[in-house]
Amino acid sequence: MNFEIFLQLYGYLALMVIMVISLYGIVRGASLIKKLIALTIFGDTANALIIFLGFKFGEIYPPVLPTLKPTLEDIAWFVSTAVDPVPQCLVITAVVINMAITMFLAFLVIQIYRLYGTTMVKKIAKLKG
Amino acid sequence: MSLFAASLITFTLTIGALFTYLAIKSRDLLKATIFSAAQSATYALIFFLLMAPDIVLAYIAVAIGIYTVILLYIISKTERYEEVES
Amino acid sequence: MKTKDVVIGITTAILLLVIAIAIILGGTGWTPLTEIRLLAKFYLENCFNLFDKNYWAASPEAVSAMLWDYRGIDTYYETAVFFLAVISGVALFRIAEVKVGAISSMRRELGLSIIVKTVTRIAFPLIITVSASVALHGHLTPGGGFQSGSMMAVAFLTAIAAFSRYFIEENLKLTKDNFLTLRSVGLITIAILALAPILAGSIALMQNQAKPWSSTPSFPEALGILWTAGSIFYYNLAEFLTVGAGFTLLFLLISIPEEEFRRILRL
Repeated sequence: MNFEIFLQLYGYLALMVIMVISLYGIVRGASLIKKLIALTIFGDTANALIIFLGFKFGEIYPPVLPTLKPTLEDIAWFVSTAVDPVPQCLVITAVVINMAITMFLAFLVIQIYRLYGTTMVKKIAKLKG
Repeated sequence: MSLFAASLITFTLTIGALFTYLAIKSRDLLKATIFSAAQSATYALIFFLLMAPDIVLAYIAVAIGIYTVILLYIISKTERYEEVES
Repeated sequence: MKTKDVVIGITTAILLLVIAIAIILGGTGWTPLTEIRLLAKFYLENCFNLFDKNYWAASPEAVSAMLWDYRGIDTYYETAVFFLAVISGVALFRIAEVKVGAISSMRRELGLSIIVKTVTRIAFPLIITVSASVALHGHLTPGGGFQSGSMMAVAFLTAIAAFSRYFIEENLKLTKDNFLTLRSVGLITIAILALAPILAGSIALMQNQAKPWSSTPSFPEALGILWTAGSIFYYNLAEFLTVGAGFTLLFLLISIPEEEFRRILRL
């Protein structure tokens, strides 16, 4: 087995393991803060998986053309060596928007603590009213 | 894509999985935050090795800087330890 | 308790197995080892093709070109989601009115030690400079509005952590409302830039360079010697303002001492 296929399979496996661990944290976390930490890891893992799908092997460079006066050979070289830019474009907004959503959830957690005095999910569920 | 970069990616992914496990397992939320930041650092290295400089620039600022400080603010404003369920 | 743990373990294992089988059976689509997909090839070929300007975006960086030209509407709606998240955060913390004068007298004791303060004093302008550089070169080199906005937010975050929030409000004379205004200016600029081609009679929202079927002219690709890549340069600047000011606004709100809220909520 050559190392490209090994790397691809190992990458998928490791990302899946991280995803399942963080999913366990989201479901079973006792505190809302622990759930929030697990949620950030889950979102980052999804982003990393998308980037991993756009990766290729061989001679590779980032998808940035290094000259402002390219010839046709330059463009052909660019197309043959750059990695897939579509997943990067999708992820770049997702990272920042995830951040904004996490900040909003952080505000909610603080407000819940102010009103109920706890962040434990079981205790909040037992509260009346 | 050299063999060195490939082995670095596998090594970093393994470290990331380890830190995720520690972050989820830890009852001390402060420790969990630090482990989560370390896991973000491994992801930043992976993004760099996967030839995504745009994402590295945003990800280092967001995941290592802002997430960590926001979680620290939440912990300082609420509570630090997760109670063991009975 | 024992059976519950066993059930959760089995469920996790089944989940992992199902995802693994889905990937082995090709759930991620066609993932070639040494080549790229057709769509990516189209973008890479056309994003800075000086010889065939029918579909070009005038930006040598493929990611920025897709972000603000080819897949612009995606980014436009993502910015709308960002706007909603920031606004809901502000709405949750809207009751905060911090009395500055009461704490102003003891400001020297606020914040961290003098070593941290000195280092932050050096690093703060440097981070701002780097973020502005990343925003201004976003259409030529890796970087752009989202990245530079996050960097600027990190600069203000270090200042808030080291000096306390009163440093921003009193020494820099930047209050919550200033940041809200800056963020709105950025959002309005993005909306105007996106709607300008439609107002001029085009059929495409966020048109940067004119496509063959377009009836309106394209944005000028350079201002004198300054290459602006059509509208991408302005979009990057506006997004820089939006993201940086929006995040800083949320940090200013989250760093308000808890006693203020307890006093207002009478808890």
